[in-house]
Amino acid sequence: MHLDDEQVERVRHGELPRELEKSIREHLAGCSECRSRVAEGQRDEDWVYSMLRVLDHPPGRIDANAVVARAGGTGLGRWRWAAALLVAVSVGSAAFAMPGSPVRGWVREALEWIAPRGNSPSPIPTQSPRQPAVAGVGVVPGRALLILFTSPQSSGEARVSLTDGSEVVVRTQSGAATFTSDPGRLVIDNRSSTAMFEIQIPRVAPRVEIRVNGVRVYLKDGDRARAGNVTVAGDVYVLRLSLPRS
Amino acid sequence: MNDPDSRQDSDQAASRFHGLFVGLFNAHFERLYRYLDRLSGDSDLAADLAQEAFIKLYRRGSLPDSPEAWLISVAMNLFRNASSSRSRRTRLLTLARAEGVHSEPGPSPEAAAIDAESRRRVRSAIDRMPPREKRLLLLAAEGYSYRAMALALELNEASVGTLLARARRAFRATYAGEEQRDAP
Repeated sequence: MHLDDEQVERVRHGELPRELEKSIREHLAGCSECRSRVAEGQRDEDWVYSMLRVLDHPPGRIDANAVVARAGGTGLGRWRWAAALLVAVSVGSAAFAMPGSPVRGWVREALEWIAPRGNSPSPIPTQSPRQPAVAGVGVVPGRALLILFTSPQSSGEARVSLTDGSEVVVRTQSGAATFTSDPGRLVIDNRSSTAMFEIQIPRVAPRVEIRVNGVRVYLKDGDRARAGNVTVAGDVYVLRLSLPRS
Repeated sequence: MNDPDSRQDSDQAASRFHGLFVGLFNAHFERLYRYLDRLSGDSDLAADLAQEAFIKLYRRGSLPDSPEAWLISVAMNLFRNASSSRSRRTRLLTLARAEGVHSEPGPSPEAAAIDAESRRRVRSAIDRMPPREKRLLLLAAEGYSYRAMALALELNEASVGTLLARARRAFRATYAGEEQRDAP
């Protein structure tokens, strides 16, 4: 008995059932006709696959983290994030409303940073205290933290500074981005954004890396910091969020 | 109430899933993309569908028994939906893809013409194959296991080899038909 089509294919693809493998290998060793059919099947397959390759286009740069960012984390993660956001907003509002609170000053400073007066004669519109136009997140950096901007921007910068605090803090104007955090990772979904971001990193953080669309633009490793596509203004690294075209 | 132990377990499970997902993505994204690209003839659509399939897997929060077959099945469903509502589809991550294409040098005009003709023949041959044979052949070309292909295409796993041999014959026949049609 010679091998049938099914067995010839399975021999070539390593898909023989374990119980038949020995007997089929033994048959092949003694049967030139079946060996020839196996070889012919391989040549045929090689030709077909070489034809299929003419249809191919390279997939481009798509990385797992960008897909995860679009997925928005697991359901549990999303609920936890929503709860954390609710708590943060409540605490922030209470602190803002408290008489003599320094939070108002911080918010004012942040607003001025986001929309600086410069030489413009027009005054900055007064922001309602009930609608602070700042969004942000604070995360404990742990042993290593990756901050991932999901997209390059047509304009906009991230200003990175070192602080004596214990949390990595990222701020931008409200609505400019959404934040998702997992252990060791902070994903900033900044699609279609042209916003400025302020990133504060604790000096004691062992390792913090910032990537834009998968490309590393900043790395703090121990006491050393490295950055590309950057200008340094005093103690502040100014990272361009618009990646250079190759 | 939040139990710190259960929260820690949950964090560990999420972290473990994330690691598994990234491993799966790195191992399978390109082959799923290539399968969809060859099947649809639309590389942008293929990239979108492959991403959407992985997004659905991540949102699922756990791995199915056969992740490869699951991804193929989901991608095929997305493909069917996209085929019927292509105009409403939004593009994902097209910027990165466009940059990749522009950074490569183009072929000479003569080589480009030959390539275009080869592509047209193969495309036409693929499009004229029976749907089941076409999908099986394209999946096999990406090295999927017989089990994954059988699950994804709802075939009897014991006859996958026979169907594959038949699919290659079908491709040869339709391709030969294209050559005859083009002969002077």
